[in-house]
Amino acid sequence: MTALKRTKLPILIGSAAASAITAAALIVSSADAAPPGNAAPAFKELNTSGKDISLADFRGKTVVIEWTNHGCPFVQKHYNSKNMQATQAAAAKDGVVWLSVISSKPGSQGHVSPEQADKLTLDRGAKPTHVLLDPDGSMGRAYGAKTTPHMFIITPDGKVAYNGAIDSIQSNKVDDVPKAINYVTTGLAALKAGKAPDPAATVPYGCDVKY
Amino acid sequence: MRFSVRLAMPRIGGILVAMLLAAAAALGFTAPASAQVTASSPHAEGTILLERSAATPGDTFLGALRLKMADGWHVYWINPGDSGLPPTATWASSPEVTAGEFRFPTPHAIPLATLMNYGYEDEVILPFEVKIAPEAAIGSQLTLGAKFEYLICADICIPEDVTLSISLPVAATPSADAAASSEIAETLPTIPVALTGQAVVERSGDTFRIGVVDDSLASAVASAKWIRFFPYGADILHAAPQAVRTGLDGVSVELKANAMFAKPGEQDLGGIIGIETADGKLRGWEARATPGIVPASVGTVAFAAAAAAAETPALPIDQLLVVLGFAFLGGLVLNLMPCVLPVLTIKAASLVNHAHNPKEARAHGVAYLAGVVVCFAAIGAILVALKAAGDTSAGLGFQLQYSWVVALFALVMFAVGLNMLGVFEMGSSLMNVGGGLADRGGTSGAFFTGLLAAFVGAPCVGPFMAGAVGAAMVQPAPIVMLLFVTMGLGLAAPFLILSFTPALAKVLPKPGKWMITFKQVLAFPMFATALWLLWVLAAQAGTDGVMLALAGAIVLAFGIWLGGKIGAKALGRVAAGLVIVGGFMLAPIAMNLPRAEAKVAAQDWSVEQVTQLQSEGRVIFVDFTAKWCVTCQVNKGAMYDPAVQQTFADLEVVFLRADWTNKDSVIAEELKRHGAGGVPLYLVYPAGGGPPKKFDGLLTPAMIQQAVREAAGSV
Repeated sequence: MTALKRTKLPILIGSAAASAITAAALIVSSADAAPPGNAAPAFKELNTSGKDISLADFRGKTVVIEWTNHGCPFVQKHYNSKNMQATQAAAAKDGVVWLSVISSKPGSQGHVSPEQADKLTLDRGAKPTHVLLDPDGSMGRAYGAKTTPHMFIITPDGKVAYNGAIDSIQSNKVDDVPKAINYVTTGLAALKAGKAPDPAATVPYGCDVKY
Repeated sequence: MRFSVRLAMPRIGGILVAMLLAAAAALGFTAPASAQVTASSPHAEGTILLERSAATPGDTFLGALRLKMADGWHVYWINPGDSGLPPTATWASSPEVTAGEFRFPTPHAIPLATLMNYGYEDEVILPFEVKIAPEAAIGSQLTLGAKFEYLICADICIPEDVTLSISLPVAATPSADAAASSEIAETLPTIPVALTGQAVVERSGDTFRIGVVDDSLASAVASAKWIRFFPYGADILHAAPQAVRTGLDGVSVELKANAMFAKPGEQDLGGIIGIETADGKLRGWEARATPGIVPASVGTVAFAAAAAAAETPALPIDQLLVVLGFAFLGGLVLNLMPCVLPVLTIKAASLVNHAHNPKEARAHGVAYLAGVVVCFAAIGAILVALKAAGDTSAGLGFQLQYSWVVALFALVMFAVGLNMLGVFEMGSSLMNVGGGLADRGGTSGAFFTGLLAAFVGAPCVGPFMAGAVGAAMVQPAPIVMLLFVTMGLGLAAPFLILSFTPALAKVLPKPGKWMITFKQVLAFPMFATALWLLWVLAAQAGTDGVMLALAGAIVLAFGIWLGGKIGAKALGRVAAGLVIVGGFMLAPIAMNLPRAEAKVAAQDWSVEQVTQLQSEGRVIFVDFTAKWCVTCQVNKGAMYDPAVQQTFADLEVVFLRADWTNKDSVIAEELKRHGAGGVPLYLVYPAGGGPPKKFDGLLTPAMIQQAVREAAGSV
């Protein structure tokens, strides 16, 4: 009996330490990106109605994933100009699923409650299929989301088709929106025509994601 | 009434300003009335600096935008890194004035969580060239003005701007603005310069190696606090660690390619090599590398991380306590690891002997503690020294990466085995080290047991405190030392406590003749341990190395025999003191002998291989191992378990192995990337892509099966 106790305790301590360390290591490990052509990383995050949403729910449909933070001037550029809403509406018309993801950690810019997120959607006239709340940044890290906005297009068979910027002009100026090529619009059009988006990868621009 | 007065006041002010503006306009100022030489935005103050207070027609000189930023805010380099935008200028000058592009000084790396930015903090001066048209009329007043826009960020980002303008008289002879000239002159050395030599880049898999030949760079690196490659494009992963080496002719840097933007195969790579000198000045060399072979003369020495550590801020006290807590736990857990068990058996034998004399038991406990702590402190000191010498790949267990240490250790094991068999006798206190039979006052024996426990135990520490070790390795030397001492305290704690528990005597068997037999039996695990070490040696130094070690064993046996004849007591004391330990080390290796046919053979690991297989949607199991890591050998039992092998085959799992028996910077880097300070580390990559699941420590077949099934999505 005593012998049993003596050996079990350190094992317990050991596994507790090991798991705590593993958790710490996960926090410091660098993001693994989702380059075009790769399988899109699986995820399961809560939407604003508290329902678990996973990538597998949308097999057979094209999915757009948008990293967002309403306090970020670059996000504001695309919402104030109605560019993002128009892109969302056009996508919805074609049956494309649109997921807006908020990966800001609690207490940082862009972190919102489900109610606040819904109000933002309503106030801005946004048309996402779901707004996903990723306060622990797990989904953001899995995709290697770097900026807000950072856009991904996922094919109906779950492959990354586009990874990068919303458009071709890196600026925070609303005036640049009409002059720029919207890569999500062109990417979706390419997929619809049975072609691969070109470019399939661009450098995203904007604020850093607030992990 | 009051309200109306308050409301009226600004209006009156506004009217006054408007009148003044009208007057100014009438006097001939062409600049917008709001523009000035200095202006502030919420988080920065911008100022235009010009080298000239009066220019001549056709003149060319430098101007600059100076931005003084609020504490904690930064603006960006021409390539901002993972996020951000560089400052821009929209010029609104007199037609006779042309201003060029910003010449960006060498930036700092600004890490943010998992992202990396390049930019400037506190203050930056961005010079630009100014040209005055030849037809500018002498005596006229020109204006240089612009709207300067910059994204300024702390934890949040704000686009800010200032509109500035400066007037510039045209004269027959130029006159200098001394203050502005000296400020601009101070910045010029921080602007990257062209290379006197060449820049080349090699590609292997997902790694670029850029080599930069330049005399001034080669001489500047001696005093560098840090050296970094800042790319112009998106070809590299900004946040990945850069391995820097230096040589007589320049610098080489290993960079991780960004799979999305780097072209497959060879390509050009442009950017700057930036350094911070000892006096805190930044300098840069512009490298436009073309594919080629990196010359050996730019990569002889790993750049000393010791200097870099000096600028790493010390851990805050609360985090330090957490790290130390993990160090203690790591040491404690070590008592259960296969590598330490043999030592502990010896220690247990000695306890049996002394438990009946509480005073002695306590003395031995303390001596053992001292031995453990001294050994850990020594390992810590050597690691600090290696780091200072630029060997960044050194980790826990490094001592077994040196083949001569392995060979020496094998010889010591052999000698101790001979001793335990009674082939020769050494000083009585020495015996105490082993079985604690003869000398009851031999606290030095307990001390040596402690030394040994720590020496063979350190390689096993890795998995249990990877995070802590990783965090501590970049810390200043005193903190590294504190960490190692705490680890030692953890290892010694259980026996120390037992030594102070008199009740123990009642549980343990009485010493007697059986202990002599026990000692002789222990000799065989010693020989087996020597054999294991020779196996490690074979992998490190080949047949020649093993032959050398075996020849050494003959010399040693002869020496021992001779020593017995002539009585070299002191010598023998040290030799035997060093060893008795490793006795049971071989048990795990015996366990590891081939037991079942491997259905899925391990293939060599590489980063590219993982990327490739992941893109094919395969489940990947990666085994980071080393021959000197006993836990790794024990875990092979689980990996080659028939059920596990069957699962691997069923799920088409790819089994990769990264062997860290010899020093290997790529593997060291990968371990670090996954937050592991050493081996073992096991990664299971899911079929659907994404980050791997991690395991360290002891594995069971069930754990492996569960993990690969989850990864394959078949649970």
